[in-house]
Amino acid sequence: SAAIPQPASSFLGIKGTRGPAPTCASHSFEQQFSSVAQRGPKCNQAALRAAPRAEWTRREAGLGGTCLLELQRHSLRTGGRDPGGRRRVELWTPGARQAPGGVAIRWGGGAWEGLDDGAIRLCRGHPGKRPGRWRPPGGLAVARWCYAASWASAAGEVRVWLMGLLGGLSAVQLVGDGFTTRSGYGILMPSLSPTMEEGNIVKWLKKEGEAVSAGDALCEIETDKAVVTLDANDDGILAKIVVEEGSKNIRLGSLIGLLVEEGEDWKHVEIPKDVGPPPPVSKPSVPPPLPGPQVSTPVKKGHAPGKLQFRLSPAARNILEKHALDASQGTATGPRGIFTKEDALKLVQLKQMGKITESRPTPVAPPTPAQPSPPQAAATPAYPRPLIPPVSTPGQPNVAGTFTEIPASNIRRVIAKRLTESKSTVPHAYATTDCDVGAVLKVRQSLVRDDIKVSVNDFIIKAAAVTLQQMPVVNVSWDGEGPKQLPFIDISVAVATDKGLITPIIKNAAAKGIQEIADSVKVLSKKARDGKLLPEEYQGGSFSISNLGMFGIDEFTAVINPPQACILAVGRFRPVLKLTQDEEGNARLQQYQLITVTMSSDSRVVNDELATRFLESFKANLENPIRLA
Amino acid sequence: MYYLDANRLIPFQKCDLHRLEEGPPVTTVLTREDGLRYYRMMQTVRRMELKADQLYKQKIIRGFCHLCDGQEACCVGLEAGINPTDHLITAYRAHGFTFTRGLSVREILAELTGRRGGCAKGKGGSMHMYAKNFYGGNGIVGAQVPLGAGIALACKYNGKDEVCLTLYGDGAANQGQIFEAYNMAALWKLPCIFICENNRYGMGTSVERAAASTDYYKRGDFIPGLRVDGMDVLCVREATKFAAAHCRAGKGPILMELQTYRYHGHSMSDPGVSYRTREEIQEVRSKSDPIMLLKDRMVNNDLASVEELKEIDVEVRKEIEDAAQFATADPEPPLEELGYHIYSSDPPFEVRGANQWIKFKSIS
Repeated sequence: SAAIPQPASSFLGIKGTRGPAPTCASHSFEQQFSSVAQRGPKCNQAALRAAPRAEWTRREAGLGGTCLLELQRHSLRTGGRDPGGRRRVELWTPGARQAPGGVAIRWGGGAWEGLDDGAIRLCRGHPGKRPGRWRPPGGLAVARWCYAASWASAAGEVRVWLMGLLGGLSAVQLVGDGFTTRSGYGILMPSLSPTMEEGNIVKWLKKEGEAVSAGDALCEIETDKAVVTLDANDDGILAKIVVEEGSKNIRLGSLIGLLVEEGEDWKHVEIPKDVGPPPPVSKPSVPPPLPGPQVSTPVKKGHAPGKLQFRLSPAARNILEKHALDASQGTATGPRGIFTKEDALKLVQLKQMGKITESRPTPVAPPTPAQPSPPQAAATPAYPRPLIPPVSTPGQPNVAGTFTEIPASNIRRVIAKRLTESKSTVPHAYATTDCDVGAVLKVRQSLVRDDIKVSVNDFIIKAAAVTLQQMPVVNVSWDGEGPKQLPFIDISVAVATDKGLITPIIKNAAAKGIQEIADSVKVLSKKARDGKLLPEEYQGGSFSISNLGMFGIDEFTAVINPPQACILAVGRFRPVLKLTQDEEGNARLQQYQLITVTMSSDSRVVNDELATRFLESFKANLENPIRLA
Repeated sequence: MYYLDANRLIPFQKCDLHRLEEGPPVTTVLTREDGLRYYRMMQTVRRMELKADQLYKQKIIRGFCHLCDGQEACCVGLEAGINPTDHLITAYRAHGFTFTRGLSVREILAELTGRRGGCAKGKGGSMHMYAKNFYGGNGIVGAQVPLGAGIALACKYNGKDEVCLTLYGDGAANQGQIFEAYNMAALWKLPCIFICENNRYGMGTSVERAAASTDYYKRGDFIPGLRVDGMDVLCVREATKFAAAHCRAGKGPILMELQTYRYHGHSMSDPGVSYRTREEIQEVRSKSDPIMLLKDRMVNNDLASVEELKEIDVEVRKEIEDAAQFATADPEPPLEELGYHIYSSDPPFEVRGANQWIKFKSIS
């Protein structure tokens, strides 16, 4: 018989070290195996011992997946001949266990599938093929398929009989006397509380190689709520600790350890690479979805290893559903790629501007294999959410019965905080008086004729400054224990902007002329409206003035800006008729332009008497603009 | 090799009796066929429960899940003692009974995961499984006992010589309606077998802390009772046969207390070790595990070999894995079917949803 051709490289995908080619190198198959075949499997140990040993490695993919027996090195025994005359080879693995779901044997790049009825096929590659193709002598193409006669497993043995379709050119060349198996059952990270997504391993209570019986505690896992012990369900030996103790944030479903059956070699267990939650076989028989808006199902955080296209926040999903929009038309800007409510609102705005058209989101693509969560398995038609009571959408004009949320800007929040603080902690006292601004108006008119634009407010500011100069007792602030005299006279002028009320300061107002004050006010107001005020331009001040005259307010009271002591609230000037006595003593109606000012003062530092005197001087100063010079 | 018709006379523990002159026999014949069948069923229930535990921990099963591993001898033994035409009703620890009453593991697991292939079309869950002559699956503690007495009344009314097994736990045994059911059953001599599955803990409370009298078989007072070792499937079978014969003879109801144990906690959210020690659980596992007991019996009496039983283990494992694979991969029931199957044979109608403007179609 012809010499058995030897492949150039290792045979049957032999990995690892391998001794010199065994005795089969120069012997024919019959020569080599005849003695063994005749005498049966359990014989000729000497010859078999010389042959390289094979080791199976079994990897299991998750729950109920197929088990892969990877032939690292080989060891085969002949099983004689079957009735049809075809050679049989036994791959004998004592201690192996038939894995549920079938066993696939992979060697040399091919894979064998274990089927229920026992037939094993080599699906790809063929025995003996390692990088180059192996051609038998004579140019015969070796079959790609090797048909296994039978397959049996009992009491821990896995026996596979392999045969080549064409003669005995198959695995027959391997000789061995048994296998050792390495196999492992993966221990996956469990969910030990309903809200748990990831956990930390606090401590392993068993060591590698320690026997574990059903019900024993394996390790302590820290969940989001407490430290819970994980129990083993089966007997076995803890073969390998994949995730060490002290590891944090291990996702649900990831491999943390390997368990082997008793009696197996636990030292050389291989960690399955593709372990994870089992791949669900996606059934294509989903009923055709209704023509309703289909929404990408929002996924809970961290269902690794698979990652979904879109993660929507529930509010975003609601908004998209309402407007029949698709999340893929916008961009997700939330943390970790979540499509947030703001993104959804932007999409809605774009839609309203006509930039995007309504679209029904396409059904979700079939899932990637490692998807544990059922919602993603099929695009379920979303049930339209009931709209009664009507759902409010921020930024939308109010539908009857809804409210609109306007998010508060930072300024408003600060204002709110300070006003509340002021009104609740500072004892406000109010004093009101009417001032005759007739003279001021005349001065103003004459200045206007000279093209100097000033307003009544500027006169008021100047008057207040001058009065403060005359009465330094009012130019104080409360420093927590008592009045603190302020060395400067800075008037804060209240300016209304879109974002809120802000008070830019006119420094040293008493020394400035009316025109200068007018210019400063204009500049500062503009800056305030543009939002470009520097901090020193609005922080500080010793006295505030708030003028609502231009809005038509007659009289109002203002809230003090702490730590200032007073604030002057100025109304509009209004023409008032009064009965006076003229030179001749006749009663006459005369028109006065009156302005109502209300001063709110901090009674701790400026009591009623001081406030009255201040207002008296202020009135006198305002009514005689000459004094303002 | 074992002869298929091999059988052995096997002795087991005597039952304590209350108001009974003689109890069930202390020996019974176990055939190899029966033994293998019981072994297979118990192993299936055990692996199914462990698989449910695994799936729950992977968040594939959600909601309630009450497991009965450790109590397999009760479900298998009871089933062995009655006919398929007899009736059974139990509480929420019902997966084992659902299996022994005829549903397949696939259907049970698919129902737990909430998929279409489930026995209640995925809409029911753990506590909503029904089969022929099996009335579930009842969530309210102790509520099934008056129902069971009612089923027994129906049996007597129909005159078909059927009995009804009404199960409840040691925690429910202190409920008032159970005593009302005792009274009516005894008064009207209903063919009802009241069975208390005493697993020593009512949720987290041990029986000593919960009941003034822990002799649950005596609690029926005027109803005769027997206390049975619930970890021995043969003992349970014989006691059930005895009790069924008692009822079928028209002597009225009878009470059985099955002393058993559960390895898991009360439900999946209960670790099970805060009210009992691990040592206790391990002790029961090593000394009185029902599967181990049957296996030892069969092997010692030459009814089967260890390898054979291991083979059954392997097959069962494979079957459960297949079922789990199916249960994980099956699609969920479609949302249109939310309102279906409310009534069993009505014409289609519209049913109101969570508020008066939501309507679901309901087809029986």
